[in-house]
Amino acid sequence: MTGFLLRRIGLAVFVILAVTVLVAYSVRLSGDPTAMLLTGSGNITQADIDRIRAALGVDRPFVAQYLDFLGGVLHGDLGLTFFGKTSVNALIAQALPATLLLAFLSLGLSLLISIPLGIHAAVHRGSWSDQTVRLLSLVGLSFPNFWLAMMFVLIFAITLHWLPTSGFFGASSLVMPAATLGLILCAINVRLVRGAMLETLSTQYILVARSKGLAERLVLYKHALRNCLIPILTYVGLQFGDLIGGVVIVEKVFNWPGMGSLAFDAISARDYPVIQGVVLVLATLIVLVNLAVDIAYGLVDPRVRLR
Amino acid sequence: MALALGGALLAPGLAQAAGTLTVALASDAESWDPIDTFILDWGRVGSNIYDGLIQRTPDLKLQPGLALSWEMLDDNTRIRFKLRPNVTFHDGEPFNADAVKYSFDRLLGEEGGKGPQQANYTAIKSVEVIDDMTVDFHLGSPDPVLLTKLAGYGAMIVPPKYVEEHGEEYFNAHPCGTGPFKFVEYTPKVSLTLEANPDYWDGAPKVDKLVYRFIAEAATQVAELQSGGIDIATLVPISLLDTIKADSNLTVESITGPNAVALRFNTKDGITKDPKVRKALIEAVDREAIIEQILQGNGKPIASFQSSLSFGNDPDLKPIPYDPDAAQAALTEAGVAPGSKVELDFVGSDATFREVAQTVAAFLQGIGLDPQLKSYETNVLFKDVIPNGKTGDLFQMTWGGWTFDYDNTAYLLYHSGQYWNPYDKDQTLDDMLEKQRNTYDQDARQTILRQIADYVADQAIEMPLYNLNTIYAMNKRVHDLPPTPDIRFRFNGVTLD
Repeated sequence: MTGFLLRRIGLAVFVILAVTVLVAYSVRLSGDPTAMLLTGSGNITQADIDRIRAALGVDRPFVAQYLDFLGGVLHGDLGLTFFGKTSVNALIAQALPATLLLAFLSLGLSLLISIPLGIHAAVHRGSWSDQTVRLLSLVGLSFPNFWLAMMFVLIFAITLHWLPTSGFFGASSLVMPAATLGLILCAINVRLVRGAMLETLSTQYILVARSKGLAERLVLYKHALRNCLIPILTYVGLQFGDLIGGVVIVEKVFNWPGMGSLAFDAISARDYPVIQGVVLVLATLIVLVNLAVDIAYGLVDPRVRLR
Repeated sequence: MALALGGALLAPGLAQAAGTLTVALASDAESWDPIDTFILDWGRVGSNIYDGLIQRTPDLKLQPGLALSWEMLDDNTRIRFKLRPNVTFHDGEPFNADAVKYSFDRLLGEEGGKGPQQANYTAIKSVEVIDDMTVDFHLGSPDPVLLTKLAGYGAMIVPPKYVEEHGEEYFNAHPCGTGPFKFVEYTPKVSLTLEANPDYWDGAPKVDKLVYRFIAEAATQVAELQSGGIDIATLVPISLLDTIKADSNLTVESITGPNAVALRFNTKDGITKDPKVRKALIEAVDREAIIEQILQGNGKPIASFQSSLSFGNDPDLKPIPYDPDAAQAALTEAGVAPGSKVELDFVGSDATFREVAQTVAAFLQGIGLDPQLKSYETNVLFKDVIPNGKTGDLFQMTWGGWTFDYDNTAYLLYHSGQYWNPYDKDQTLDDMLEKQRNTYDQDARQTILRQIADYVADQAIEMPLYNLNTIYAMNKRVHDLPPTPDIRFRFNGVTLD
């Protein structure tokens, strides 16, 4: 088990390093922060650009810049932003909780809806309610999350004035972003639950449980659900990465002060320290979640450990 | 489910205290130090916190700010400013000649060198304190636009003691000036809050609080405006204008702004090397139709690469009229084969301009050419393709600048060796451009600037498309905000219902 853990952790560190090198390098290929000067206007000459590049330290070779960043990371310091000279640590400390709150809330919401709905659809396979669930999930899968977000805003913020349109003004601000992300996830998860449940229901032990004369509710929720929960939870763990990615667009629409907005603004401004910091933190987070899933697998299923 | 949740959590933070004005800005400047500013949105905030020696009114006239008067001395190599007495910074320290000297030494020294603003003020060699309320600016080179620039972003006066005591990083996030509003709170990427400065020398503001929220999505700004979350939206795309106009609580301002949009030609290679061909391409494009259809009237035709409000604009210079038949004839005469390829480079992220580019391509197809649209990322086009002369036959440029002086455009775009001029070397043009820079006689400058515009139009160096309007939208409860073409709102006169 220890060898397995060490291998996994070593691999995780390698993945995180590789991701930061790749991002730090490619963002520099796409231009540097002095471009912000050029898209504005004024008396900018090549000499000014050179002077500002030197002041920001982006005129040095890539390796020197990256090692600087890495050195900071080892001391727990992600550096200062290019434009405001604010600490990147502080920006991330502000944005990460906002994003995690949104991510967990929408994940929870999706499970709360998709598990009972998926089970119902599987049990009543082929019935009108199963057809409806499948149709709704198809609809949910096919429309883009920003469209759903705009519709929510139109209805609940502009027309009904029930909820704040954007920003973070307490619990009410969470409703629309979490519902947008949660409902779309729900469309995926309901299919997953239905599929897993159908498979479980056709197994021998369910047949045995039923022939023992157990109540149907007990068969479904005690025997069947427990067994099909393993693939579902594994998948949800993997989904977390997608969710963090999907959060960017929804954060943009709802002006949510999270990691997505932070990364988006930093990319358009070519604020390298912020981009590197955000990517490092998110990559670590996703790798950790996957590592946890891997380890959980190993605990549950000894065959994984042997391989 | 969403409905049930929505009903359950009825506590939106929408209600506004009386006298709070909320403004949405597309971007967070991150540093509120005048010499660091990279973006125009800074001006909408900074103009309310700081004052310059000179101010510019909404109708673009220069008037006394922290200086009561100024005069040019010693054959225009020295400017003497008489300062406004009894002004204090928000932290209580007095405004005086030392503060002016400190601000400009800082701007022109090492600290200023790290930012983009220094470049605008390099004509100033040194600042000398004569007495507590008098300063002299010694000029190292002539700059006839300097007085206008002194009303600009980088020249705002900062409090010496405050900056020295707290340091640069603190000052970035806790700005302090002499302006009508005082700093209260800044949450990066979220909002910046100011409160009225009751002791402002030009009269206390009429609103108590001024809140800026940073909202990068245009659709979100408009949704916030509709739901009452903000009072002023500064990012209003043309596609959403009808939605705003349909709302009886809201109003749209569309006024002549600084930005001109043009397609410049590759004057060195290809068919556009020939001025006759360039003129034919201009004739082939119905620019009025583009303004009416795509911009929905939110722009003006232009004959040179400047706003109609720009100093140097010649109202008598008329755009080349739309005439596809003449264009086709001219092409044939110039020996351009039908079906010749013309490449048009533009920035792909601008949805409005994408439509404009497609329309231009359709017009060029109309005279038998084979236009190829090539879209670039902003950075790539402006940092590599244009300065290194790797463009196609036509390339997009948008130019403006808050100075509203044609010099700012013409010198940088047409003088040999400039960053933005990869193709031309024209002695006649260089001479005219230098001549207007070396005189403070504004009438003479205007004459030369008009000659330059004439000459450029005659050479057809670019295809001037339009002067884009500055568009913003407001809740009707906002009153007394004069239309400001340079988009630097000052909110000290604003009242709210």
